Amino acid sequence: MSAAILKDAQSSSQASPPMDSAELGETLVEIRDLEKRFSLSGDFLEQLTFEKGRLRRKQEYVHAINGVTLDVKRGEALCVVGESGCGKSTVARTVMGLLKPSGGEVRFDGTRIDNMAPRDLLPYRRRMQMIFQNPYASLNPRMTIQQTLEEPLRFHQPTLKDGEVRDKIEEVMRSVGIDPDWGKRFAHEFSGGQRQRISIARALAVDPEFIVADEPISALDVSIQAQVLNLMMEAQEQRNLTYLFITHDLAVVEHFGTRVAVMYLGTLCELADTRSLFARPRHPYTQALMSAIPRLHDDKPNHIRLEGEVPTPVNLPSGCVFHGRCPHANQRCRTEIPRLIATDTGQVACHAVEEGRID
Amino acid sequence: MALLEVNNLDVRFAMRGGEVRALRDVSFTLERGERLGIVGESGAGKSVAAFTILNLIAKPGYIAGGEIKFDGEVLNTLKPKAMQSIRGNRISMIFQDPMMTLNPVLTIGEQMIECLKAHRRISRKDARAIALHKLNQVFIPSPEKRLDQYPHELSGGMRQRIIIAIALLLDPDIIVADEPTTALDVTIQAEIMELLLLLCEKHNVGLILITHDLGVVSQVTQRTLVMYAGRVIEQGPTREIINDAQHPYTQGLINALPQMATPGSRLNQIRGSMPTLTKIPAGCAFNPRCDFAANICLEKVPAFAHSGNCKVACHMVDAMVAGERWTPIITDANGNGATPTDNHRTEVNT
Amino acid sequence: MSQSNTQSSNAPVTPKTSSIVVPGRWQRFRESYLVYSFKRDWMAQACLLVFIAMVLGAFLAPWIAPADPYDLASIDIMNSELPPAWMAGGDPAFLLGTDAQGRDLLSTILYGTRVSLLIGFGAVILQALLGVTFGLLAGYLGGRIDAFLMRMADIQLSFSTLMVAIVVGAIIKATFGGAAFSDYALILLILIIGLAEWPQYARTVRASVLAEKNKEYVDAARVMGFRSRRIMFRHILPNTLSPIFVISTVQIANAIISEAALSFLGLGMPETQPSLGSLIKSGFDYLQSGSWWITLIPGGVLIVLVLVINLLGDWLRDVMNPRLYKG
Repeated sequence: MSAAILKDAQSSSQASPPMDSAELGETLVEIRDLEKRFSLSGDFLEQLTFEKGRLRRKQEYVHAINGVTLDVKRGEALCVVGESGCGKSTVARTVMGLLKPSGGEVRFDGTRIDNMAPRDLLPYRRRMQMIFQNPYASLNPRMTIQQTLEEPLRFHQPTLKDGEVRDKIEEVMRSVGIDPDWGKRFAHEFSGGQRQRISIARALAVDPEFIVADEPISALDVSIQAQVLNLMMEAQEQRNLTYLFITHDLAVVEHFGTRVAVMYLGTLCELADTRSLFARPRHPYTQALMSAIPRLHDDKPNHIRLEGEVPTPVNLPSGCVFHGRCPHANQRCRTEIPRLIATDTGQVACHAVEEGRID
Repeated sequence: MALLEVNNLDVRFAMRGGEVRALRDVSFTLERGERLGIVGESGAGKSVAAFTILNLIAKPGYIAGGEIKFDGEVLNTLKPKAMQSIRGNRISMIFQDPMMTLNPVLTIGEQMIECLKAHRRISRKDARAIALHKLNQVFIPSPEKRLDQYPHELSGGMRQRIIIAIALLLDPDIIVADEPTTALDVTIQAEIMELLLLLCEKHNVGLILITHDLGVVSQVTQRTLVMYAGRVIEQGPTREIINDAQHPYTQGLINALPQMATPGSRLNQIRGSMPTLTKIPAGCAFNPRCDFAANICLEKVPAFAHSGNCKVACHMVDAMVAGERWTPIITDANGNGATPTDNHRTEVNT
Repeated sequence: MSQSNTQSSNAPVTPKTSSIVVPGRWQRFRESYLVYSFKRDWMAQACLLVFIAMVLGAFLAPWIAPADPYDLASIDIMNSELPPAWMAGGDPAFLLGTDAQGRDLLSTILYGTRVSLLIGFGAVILQALLGVTFGLLAGYLGGRIDAFLMRMADIQLSFSTLMVAIVVGAIIKATFGGAAFSDYALILLILIIGLAEWPQYARTVRASVLAEKNKEYVDAARVMGFRSRRIMFRHILPNTLSPIFVISTVQIANAIISEAALSFLGLGMPETQPSLGSLIKSGFDYLQSGSWWITLIPGGVLIVLVLVINLLGDWLRDVMNPRLYKG
């Protein structure tokens, strides 16, 4: 009986295949050789240590992003995947201007934004918005929903009259499935999924073009994840949005993404359109990642076993960051950092692929 | 006789807003060496079930009814001292966050030796030897070094392995694992689940795996319980449930996975959300969200119907199995609301 | 006849609680955990009652006190050292007896409590204003500003309040004369105690701000393009208020004790404007000669006042402590 229901469900759901990457338009966001380091050393006084009888200055950094180059094309949903410590959240925050890059640049619609003064950046703020991971911390506990949603709108469009603001907020609340009558309530009166809807409403209220979503559904229950993901897909269609979607859940990526970028220890390993990546992952890390997803039809765990542990981003391995765990590593991998090379499906940074050692 | 028997367990929490019925009439068994999965979303009561087995529910929670029997002995009325000799010794537990489970100011070795000495009369030297042996069993590299390290010096995956080693220290009969891999990356998750499976098979240790991830359950467990709003709504062999779920909630849960939808199309979602446990709807708790709800679903709590090797708590399945007609209340054009008025949904269940 | 489970997400989703009526501010307060806990805690109720009684008594002093202790004309030296009314030799006109100068002790205590409370609240308001501002700036802006402000706080803490009071008092008396000091004693004491204790507030607020700064709603505000000042005062400050209320009760008690100590040492309120501390001092010399009531009754009142404030503070701290299950 359930098979019949399944078939029914699939046939009646609106099926619009994900954007074919060949149809992608112009570049909206450019990330060039992005680098970000965080200092672990504290202030000047804490950096001084006594070693071997001499006063030395020790500086330790967490190398969160190490040279990432990426383009986000208008209208697509570019997913960035990776495990914890790979730097994907840092990339999201740097693109949005919450962090200043240590190197490289970020461009939006052709203009460089990472070094802009806050006042000049203001019009761009309206066009770029962000959705965060933790629904329980994304909304100010002391503000009503109405206030939370109205504030950005009034800030960016001060000429709007009160009535117009109210109407706009009501419309955006309805579009995310929240009853506008609940505007006077506070965040803690809503469930996790509803709070995430409200966060999405806040992002949509200013009519942005580009939304960075940092693991927006990871903290939600499975059935609620489906609701929120559907909402995001609808919003994309209705408002012609471009997404940069950060996640660790490859199943979501397969469903939602146009192209996928796989990151490991702050480096871009592979970039390809979704279908190709899942059909034929090239980079050894991508292959291991894919095999690790627990599938429903599996009888037992069956994955590519990686050696060793994830190294710390404080002392990066030499050469390719993945060489310590890679089953195909050779001497060149230990010394030389691989650059992104073009393949028929996208880009890969791997010596073994370049040399044709793995297919 | 099953190793662990839970019969009609009823657990409640006396809260300011009302009484939360965390578990309602929950029953299941676990044979020696069997691997059972408990699946559900947050609020379903799966963690509460695990904690209750080990009598870790504290005020304002209390067991309002039912019993738990382990190896013939009734657990829920056991005196605290007797219960202590069961916890960690014969039934051990693994929690979700490895960083919070390990004491940050004690070395790994101290924590393991402390655990051993709490239950056995052995010297520190012997305890250390056993600890070393267990660390080897979970494939920790250079275990002697690890014994003198602190938790923060180790990665998440290693910590979880150590916790599994601690759980196995006293050769328990059952391990209860409460979302052991939710906080871990997917590659580490795969390793940990494989390790757990291997160890349970090798030492014939029973496993109760609590998770929301159906894929993990599919890989590791032999039988599964699906919980919703404090009740078991479906139970049976894992393969059967995954391949051919009968209860509309389980079906909805499986269908909502991105794996099950066509890429680019909308995901199949279940409307609404789980009710708050202080205001459980009358009849079947799932009825406000169920497309197949009929009048009986609003009034009567469903008993278990047998369908294949599974037990399903659903009136519709019951009717189907008996070969009777089933008429759900028609949904309107928007698919909104299977009932004519809203009042029914928020009545407190008796 | 099977229905599909698919559903467009446009249908409005009703939130957790089912009532449609949105509660107003007062109703929200009435239903809050604070009020609930208060109704169940008899100790908190008793303390609040005593506190309100003392505050009312103090501020209605001009109307309810039997005599005006500041009116030198009404004081008769012949009435000095009369015991309380229930003891032998007492006069019903002077319910709690008189002090060495013939002033009615009850009236003096009422006026004295008023002074103590004024200084207590005034000093705490000053501390709070300074401390909250500095704490916000230090916590949110971080870096050098944080380091500078916190070092200032450390330096401030290393000066004891008494020492500062002595120095300031001595300087003003030397410069402007003793009379000037007496005239402005109230304001000066508020200033001294207020300036001495701002680091308490600053540190507490800074800790809260550091915790809130990392939450995503602050990131959301930054992503919107809001300026730092707006984020600090409009977004972060309201979320740091709970600890401020808790420490305020303790600080009020501390301020009252500080003032009493200063007055006892003769560095605080002058004899002509008695506060509880100076009353205790003035009766100290007469303890030996048997007129115990001049010291001990005001002393008792001081103890009760401070105790009640501290107990309320304890209750408030417990209530505001976020806990999962409040059964």
